[in-house]
Formats: sequence, C-alpha cells, structure tokens
Amino acid sequence: MAIENEHITADVIEISEFIDLAQRYRVQGVPKTVINDRVEFAGALPEPRFVQQVLQALDTGKDVT
Amino acid sequence: MSLISEKDQQALQKLFEGLEGDVTITNFTQRESLLIVPGQECDYCKETRELLEEVTALSDKLHLETKDFVRDSQEADSLGVTRIPGFVLQGRAKGKVRFFGIPAGYEFSTLIEDILDLSKGTTNLSEKTRTALGEVNQDLHVQVFVTPT
Repeated sequence: MAIENEHITADVIEISEFIDLAQRYRVQGVPKTVINDRVEFAGALPEPRFVQQVLQALDTGKDVT
Repeated sequence: MSLISEKDQQALQKLFEGLEGDVTITNFTQRESLLIVPGQECDYCKETRELLEEVTALSDKLHLETKDFVRDSQEADSLGVTRIPGFVLQGRAKGKVRFFGIPAGYEFSTLIEDILDLSKGTTNLSEKTRTALGEVNQDLHVQVFVTPT
C-alpha cells in the first residue's frame, strides 16, 4: 500500500527484537497490524477487508495504545 | 560463510534480472567500536547488515547505504528510523517501506517482494484497492508485527 500512496508508511517489525513494542501494542500473536495507533487486527486479512480496515483508520478518534 | 545459500543467490540473481528502477536500502546500524572489535553491534545489526550486503550485491540496480544510528541521527529521524536494526527501502514508490529487525524467515520473501515492487513502482493490488488507496490524502502509518519463522 505504501508503494501505491505517498501518504502511507509501512513498517515490518520483528517483535522478538523489540519486546517493548510487543508489549506496548499487546502483540500476542502474529501477524498483528496496527494502523495510525487507532485500528488494529490480528491475522492476515483478504485484501478487500484489509483495505476496509485501512480506510477505517482515517479520521477515527479511538486510540489503541 | 554467506547467510544466503549459493543456490538461493542464483535464484535471486535471476529474479533481479526483472528489476526496472533502482532501489536503495538505507540501513541504520550501531557504530563499531574504535577498538575495532568485530561483532560489537546491537543484536542482529551485524547479521542484518551482512544479509543486506549479500542481497544488494546480486544486482547493479540495488544499492545499500549503511548509516550509523547515532552519528547519522538526523537522517534516521527524518526517515522515521527509531530502532535498530532498521532500514528503509526507497525506489519508485511513493510512500515509505521500513523494516525493523532482521528480515529472517518468511519476512525475507517479503523483503524481496518489496524490492521488486519498489523497482517497478507498482504492486499486484487489485484495481479496486488501488482506487481506494488513491483517495487517501492523510498520513497513514501501518505497522505489521511479525516474528522470524
């Protein structure tokens, strides 16, 4: 997605090296995706649902951290 | 001893023949001691650096810039690299792709796919997805947490 849009930054984070991040984002299983610290979901989603989650992260007021 | 087997190197080299634009990987690592003690880096910084060196050596279109996380802190900040090992992939992509931690196991194939996509500047996402993403005009930070498998 980052490759398609300049506003999107994508990070792949290997949590066994960054335990504090795993704790901060309450990562209990992988993969876990967090978008704008607002929307989060575990597991791999089919593309349309993933995009739905991405769009949901826009302009929502809820924080997950 | 190479981190990537000879057989895999050959396979990757073949894959990289399809690269279009150049891709640069900016890798932030820990400063090596003035005593030049090999291996005195953060956990996996050395392996990450070696892995990236091996990957980028497989094509003239791949470039590796190795930076020191402390000395080059301003650049690290501007690229949003707050942890090491951390590296940023840049090519024809419009947005930023970053990896934190060694891209081992399944994530290695993610790295290779990202390199290929960045080189082309496009992805295999559906037309519908690309249209939806095209309308995103605010910053989106997507973090995917993984483990080496």
